[in-house]
Amino acid sequence: MSVAREFSKGLWRDIPVFRICLGLCPTLAVTTTAFNGLGMGLATTFVLTCSNVVISLLRGIIPNKVRIPVFIVVIATFVTVIDLTLKAVQFELHQALGIFIPLIVVNCIILGRAEAFASKNPLTLSFADGLGMGLGFTLALFALGAVREILGSGGLTIFKYGTINIHYSLLPSNYVPAVIMILPPGAFLALGLMLGLMNKINAILDARRGEKSAV
Amino acid sequence: MAGKDAGITRMVLVLTLTCAVMGGALSVVYNQTKAEIENQERLYKLRSIKAVLPEYDNQPDKDAVKVEDVEFYPGKKQGQLKGWAFEWSSSEGYGGQIKILVGIDTQGNITGVEILPGHAETPGLGTRIQEPEFRNQFKNRNLENTNWAVSKDGGDIEAITGATISPRAVTHAIKDSLEFFNEHRAEISSGGMVE
Repeated sequence: MSVAREFSKGLWRDIPVFRICLGLCPTLAVTTTAFNGLGMGLATTFVLTCSNVVISLLRGIIPNKVRIPVFIVVIATFVTVIDLTLKAVQFELHQALGIFIPLIVVNCIILGRAEAFASKNPLTLSFADGLGMGLGFTLALFALGAVREILGSGGLTIFKYGTINIHYSLLPSNYVPAVIMILPPGAFLALGLMLGLMNKINAILDARRGEKSAV
Repeated sequence: MAGKDAGITRMVLVLTLTCAVMGGALSVVYNQTKAEIENQERLYKLRSIKAVLPEYDNQPDKDAVKVEDVEFYPGKKQGQLKGWAFEWSSSEGYGGQIKILVGIDTQGNITGVEILPGHAETPGLGTRIQEPEFRNQFKNRNLENTNWAVSKDGGDIEAITGATISPRAVTHAIKDSLEFFNEHRAEISSGGMVE
């Protein structure tokens, strides 16, 4: 098990949301725009990487019976750190993400990685695992947000900070935005379609490798 | 996991220590970010105030006057009062409460309306109340020169295609706010002068 392997598995083979269907609640709720998805993904990446590192360091001294409370305390600390920091440097994004930042605490991916990986593996591997899984989660949220934003509003805003606003109008102006894609049902529709697409791509890749289709 | 079944003392110790260390770390971060968060919240408020008031050179949030729990932010230029901005809210929105910021000049005419974040109107329909095309039509209106209802109800305010409830809520809220302002005008201006 190499560091590179632990890092890269989160980006495709075990990409959160699409392959391991964890952390779906924030995924469905905040991906109304690509930028919201990006912000939420990066905040989660920070928490996931930091909590993985700390839990990996503490893995020798945490008694088995109180491991979950210890994990949660560690995770909650980093969530509060990112909550305060975001409020100080990216106030508008913080307003847009709202309650979902504090709720990173209960995101299953983070506790899942702590329990399944960081509490059993050394520091560097845990760091790579957290960073990879976090970036995979970011990628998934950004992609989902982009699909919903393009279909639902006809354009895509990739980045905005202060007066900087990188926005593309992608669909022709006579396109009537499918508002439902920005509404809650659109989250389920987009996620379902993307899960299907991922499975299809994987099936093709597997077949090409001459393996039995895993899907 | 290396931690074997440990005694109760060790469990309590590890958990307490973790909480103490993490709590300590948090207090550091809190103190570091506190000033900037307050600053950001203030800037955010000032941005909205600036959008609804005529040009001013004072600090409206610091000169605020409170009348019946509503804060009125005066906009002054070279010491002369140009208008007031204040928050108002409607509970008639499609998704619950809609908060607005209204700017009124000294003659009682509206100088601007902002829809504040935190409402739950339908994206793409009701949320179009945030767009300038809708908000700007309130400029220069007052209680006398306008029939305060949306066009569908026979009034002067153009609603939004496909969404009547949200514009209606905003229209009613602005009318209420104007009435409140007129009623308490003396109080507000005297408070503004005394400070």
